[in-house]
Amino acid sequence: MSTVTLGAPRTAAGPSAETAETAGPAAPSGAETAAELADLLVEAGFGPFFGTPCGILAPLYRALEGGIGLHTVPREDAAVGVAVGAAAAGRRPVVLMQNSGLGQSVNALASLAVPYQVPLLLIVSLRGVVPDPTQENLVMGRITEPLLEGCGIPAFRLCADRFPAQIAWARRVAGMEHRPVALLVPPRLFGWSA
Amino acid sequence: MNKTEAVRAVIEAAPREPIVFTTGYSCRIAKHVADRPNHFYMTGSMGLAASIATGLALAGRMHAVAVDGDGSLLMNPGCLITAGMTADLPLVHVLLDDGAYASTGGQDTPSARADFVAWAKACGYASATRTRDPVELALLLRRALATPAPSFIHCPLADEDERVPPRVDLELAGHFRRFSRHVATL
Repeated sequence: MSTVTLGAPRTAAGPSAETAETAGPAAPSGAETAAELADLLVEAGFGPFFGTPCGILAPLYRALEGGIGLHTVPREDAAVGVAVGAAAAGRRPVVLMQNSGLGQSVNALASLAVPYQVPLLLIVSLRGVVPDPTQENLVMGRITEPLLEGCGIPAFRLCADRFPAQIAWARRVAGMEHRPVALLVPPRLFGWSA
Repeated sequence: MNKTEAVRAVIEAAPREPIVFTTGYSCRIAKHVADRPNHFYMTGSMGLAASIATGLALAGRMHAVAVDGDGSLLMNPGCLITAGMTADLPLVHVLLDDGAYASTGGQDTPSARADFVAWAKACGYASATRTRDPVELALLLRRALATPAPSFIHCPLADEDERVPPRVDLELAGHFRRFSRHVATL
């Protein structure tokens, strides 16, 4: 896969990248950014949407609930299971989850979505990553990207100015390579603060 | 009724509808009884069989069958909540309940005092029934496949299986593609 056109690879996206995202008085609101992402995902053919709520993802959740539709599944690994069924029905499902739920989902991904090569998109928020100082999330924040890499699930951190390219990449990986793929949501992307 | 008789009844009653078999002996028995393209053998991810069937029914607007186990359902009882949430979900959830973790050495499942039929009803399933007979199971399943709502069929299994076939050793990605291709024809 090409890392150049998609922005900084996972491991290089540190605090400086986070700071850059908040610059400028004309920056769109979190709700606007989330609505844009939701529309682009639908235009790219992704759906249906499943999810377990998360504070960082709340604006995206609201944008999806507003018209496109989203099914809340009470646990993230079960959401992966439901999405696998939707993929078997020929769809390109999306699962929204916090990275704590990614921890919950490891077996669903490792023994189902990955070995059966199921095309689905995970949108995973990054609790425990700058500027989130909450101790209970730091471990998961640290291991989210290595965990995905270990599972063989390609992942990028979403950047508001690169949505079209990043979504096109996710669609290509899910649709052509027939495998799960992840887009990661840093805390500030939709305006979350600790 | 034993697990083999129950699986055979399900396979005969649903020759084309997608069936998701839970991990362990259900998968192994199903593949041995008849390896059809409408079968999905979930060899890992214990607990997710009914979730997968729910996704099929929800996104595909078609009847889907889950063959679940008691140990599996205990691992993910939340799947009942998700299925029961959609009043017109065309899902048939069959629970083969032998009271044991059969494929890991037959340890007792901790559900001797739990009422699975009551769980399904309380979660919103339109019907929840119980049978100990394979002929009646096939009948209930056919009826459920004609009902546009989530149905639950609890099958307590009292009889031993004679012999359990070997592990499912299919190439899993190819298996998923075969299943998806079949679903696309429905």
